[in-house]
Amino acid sequence: MNLDRTNHEYNLKRIFGIDHFYDEQWDAIFRILSGERILMIQRTGFGKSLCYQYPATQFDGITVIFSPLIALMRDQVKSLNSKGISASYINSEQSPEENSATIQDALNGKIKILYIAPERQENQEWIEATRKMNLSMVVIDEAHTISVWGHDFRPAFRRIINLVNLLPQDLPVLATTATATKRVQDDIEKQIGGRLTTLRGRLIRSNFNLYVIKVKSEDEKLVWLAQRLNSIEGTGLIYTGTRVDTELYAKWLVYNGVNAVNYNAGHDAGTRKEIEEGLMINKYKCVVSTNALGMGIDKSDIRFIIHTQIPASPIHYYQEIGRAGRDGKPTTIVLFYNEQVDNSGFAADYKLPKAFIEGARPTMDKYLKAINALKEEPLTESELMKVTNLKTTPIRVIKADLIDQGIVREVVNGKSKTLEYQFGAKELDIQAFEELRMAKLKDLDAMIGYVYTEKPRMQYLCEFLDDDTTTTLSNCDNTNLNKLTVQISEYWINKINEFHENYFPVLEVGTRCGNMINGIAASYYGVSNVGNAIHRSKYENGGDYPDFLLRLALKAYWKELGNIKFDLVLFVPPTHSGNLVKNFAEKFASSIKIPISAGLIKTRITKEQKIFQNSYLKQENIKDAFTYNDPEDIQGKKILLIDDIYDSGATIKEIGRLLTAMGAELIVPITIAKTVGGDIL
Amino acid sequence: MNQELTYWVALAHTPKMWTARKNEIIAYCFQQGNTIVDFFNSDCFLNMELKPQEIELLQQTKKELANYAFMVEDLLDQGYDVIPLTSKEYSPTLKCNLKYNSPIVLYTKGNKQILQEKSIAIVGSRNANELSLQFTDNVAMKASEEFSVVVSGFAKGVDKQALDSALSYKGQSIIVLPQGITTFSSGMKKYYKQIIDGNVLVLSTFHPKLPWSVDLAMARNSIIYGLSSEIYVALSDDKGGTWSGVTEGLKKGRKVFVRMPEKNEKCANLKLISMGALPVGINGETIQIDSIKSNTPIDTTISTPSVEDNIEDKICKLLANGSYSSRQIIDNLNLSGYSVQKMTIILSKMKNVSKIKEGKSTRYSLLSTKRPMQLSLML
Repeated sequence: MNLDRTNHEYNLKRIFGIDHFYDEQWDAIFRILSGERILMIQRTGFGKSLCYQYPATQFDGITVIFSPLIALMRDQVKSLNSKGISASYINSEQSPEENSATIQDALNGKIKILYIAPERQENQEWIEATRKMNLSMVVIDEAHTISVWGHDFRPAFRRIINLVNLLPQDLPVLATTATATKRVQDDIEKQIGGRLTTLRGRLIRSNFNLYVIKVKSEDEKLVWLAQRLNSIEGTGLIYTGTRVDTELYAKWLVYNGVNAVNYNAGHDAGTRKEIEEGLMINKYKCVVSTNALGMGIDKSDIRFIIHTQIPASPIHYYQEIGRAGRDGKPTTIVLFYNEQVDNSGFAADYKLPKAFIEGARPTMDKYLKAINALKEEPLTESELMKVTNLKTTPIRVIKADLIDQGIVREVVNGKSKTLEYQFGAKELDIQAFEELRMAKLKDLDAMIGYVYTEKPRMQYLCEFLDDDTTTTLSNCDNTNLNKLTVQISEYWINKINEFHENYFPVLEVGTRCGNMINGIAASYYGVSNVGNAIHRSKYENGGDYPDFLLRLALKAYWKELGNIKFDLVLFVPPTHSGNLVKNFAEKFASSIKIPISAGLIKTRITKEQKIFQNSYLKQENIKDAFTYNDPEDIQGKKILLIDDIYDSGATIKEIGRLLTAMGAELIVPITIAKTVGGDIL
Repeated sequence: MNQELTYWVALAHTPKMWTARKNEIIAYCFQQGNTIVDFFNSDCFLNMELKPQEIELLQQTKKELANYAFMVEDLLDQGYDVIPLTSKEYSPTLKCNLKYNSPIVLYTKGNKQILQEKSIAIVGSRNANELSLQFTDNVAMKASEEFSVVVSGFAKGVDKQALDSALSYKGQSIIVLPQGITTFSSGMKKYYKQIIDGNVLVLSTFHPKLPWSVDLAMARNSIIYGLSSEIYVALSDDKGGTWSGVTEGLKKGRKVFVRMPEKNEKCANLKLISMGALPVGINGETIQIDSIKSNTPIDTTISTPSVEDNIEDKICKLLANGSYSSRQIIDNLNLSGYSVQKMTIILSKMKNVSKIKEGKSTRYSLLSTKRPMQLSLML
């Protein structure tokens, strides 16, 4: 391989239209072309991707880039293809056929650069293909995810590390990240093994204007945004702590005339893509999202990022705000912190991230349940869920931990994969979990430290990242910028109360329920008096649902569904709670003056859905459990379907499919309450 | 060690090269104080004397190292173990018995410690009679009581009986697969408890993805014999896998115990005894050789090696002098009855012969068969 810089810069100009490498880029590229292994820690916007994209064009074979960021794959592939470089990606957003076609192209040498999600390493078709691919280089993007001390460790990356260790030693490997403390750096170096050269750059982002706004209530955050967001230049992102909040904030902003949209992992791939594309062309003033959005999006002019909830650590925070202002122009970065202390003695905004840390791992008895089940027989993930009656989330965490500790392995058996207990497996190491928990709590405290620090804020972040901090830093509300505060007048108090009373959660039924469309709930279950009232009637023999619930549901109906002309009201037949729903539905139907039918019945006895912890069991419990007496009633009709609580939605969706099959033209569900994860019914 | 696995697996699956030759390469590396990684990393394979065809093969393997890395990672992730020849975990019995023909890597699942224990094999026909099965059960019980591992080929009849008996007497067993280790799902499921309890080790020496085949079943026999210090024969015909395995073993001077058959039993057990195998009773107990001679007439005829075998030997001798085309081989060996096509087929089946294409003609030559010093010294 020719290692003359002038020569390569000539190629660079020809292929990428760029005149020169920065010295730091060339240093890395020179080493990669010589077959070295590199860990590159550089800030966002440095141009890390060129450090693998360019060498990839110079190698004979294919360069495989393991990246957890689907949006990044999409953007980079588009950009590479426009330059005439054959690049492609394999990920869960594509159909299996599309992924297979890409794999074939890679095998036939038609692809130079292939982006792939680390989870794909679990896929046998991919593993088969790797037996024949002409591989020239491996890249690990967002390499901090291979360290449990990094801010979003992904178990799938464990396999990438193992792979790198097994690769022939003269095959170039590049690991890149924009956020690594010394501890994470050490961990990556240790895992990737010897012969790894670390190139660390400066992480400071001097174009950021950093603010912290301390508030005493959640409403203050909403009001400040309504008052001030339109006066911030450009377009940007608002990050909330939960999915529910993305919906709430977006609705509130729209209510106040701000062009906002909400984005979360609950959306289907099509919707997510549409919003991401909208963001790229500045279609919205702001996108309200959980932190899933924005990672890897190739948009250089995100002008502001506002967090309504503190992230889990300064490293998360640096990573998340890092997505803004890559063009180097002034960028507004705001962090809200609700410091109102309640009876528990903790500030309101400290509680959620703390609860995430405390609840990150299921309790030990659940681990043991899984281990004991697997000592008896090999089980697939869904079989294990059924046997243990555990939810998807804890089962996935348990599975990842057991695999990580070598207690269990996932073995390919034909088309399915089974979890198998391993001979000689050690006891579950709880100490490791505890250490991790303590480390995370410490990181969270450091994040609180950012709220109250009097240092220049960028300096605080850089110190946490073990970056060189000898430069004098400014551009924050601790130095040359004004502190931001919230002023709430009576006008705003009224306005926000009015909003709360008219805000109804959406019941998202997805796309597999035939003619059923998204419905509405009168409230969240967790909202003070609503959940209590339902619980009293349903589980404590408290009689019919009180009238205020009916009024609330009617209000939701008139506001959100009032323009649909329904032909018929149906209600979900009960399991145990007698005629509660029937009585409620009858009152409801007579109020809106639409005929009601009790024709929807159960064909067999089902159990209460709430006793099942996971969707497999819930679906199984109600599958084909309903029918309708007189299908002629249904044909061509628009139906309003009433139930009391919307939890997993499995029952409502099942009925949606049934009624569609019987010829209903439209089905819309309405419930008194919708649960959010963690509600206890 | 982990980092080297890719290289070991790549060498193991380098095609068109005898295991013995691969062992020579490994021995050479170790003599020079080098590792297998050094061997592949050095531009000229550590200046080892290699034939041009061998260099070509090894260079191709070197190109495929990254591909093997993916395969090895996948295997390890699924809880399979990959044990290279030089590992302490490698079966010392196997190495001692097979010497330069020891497989380069073992793929296993389960308790690897079993490879270090003393072991016996109980072999015999797939269509075993009641006596043979009883004998198998008795010997497996005795072995289990004496903490000997029972090596089984997992075939029907005697093999299966040996395995199940050993386990029923709380003994340990090695299942030697006639297929790749990842294609044994049903067996892994069936013996799940025994595997995770450490009483069964599943072992394969073939490419992990290969399905069962007759060829592999035959090749697997030598591994079964190799893994065992003692071989017990329950029942043998005068042809087939058991027969060829046992006679091969006897030629190499292995200690083989054969069940003394009943008077009218149709089998070749006596023939094996006449060839030097040691007779044992129904419980595996030794029987004095004199007592046999007086009782039973012994048919000592041994089937002659097939014609094809002789021809292969002749071809080898000829090719030792250089490379020849099919036609030239026929002429040189005066095989007027052979067509070029037939000769080509024979040549293509000979594993120690490699093809050289020169324009339109194809010539054949021997892959190196030079045997250096004792393997055990170096490992």
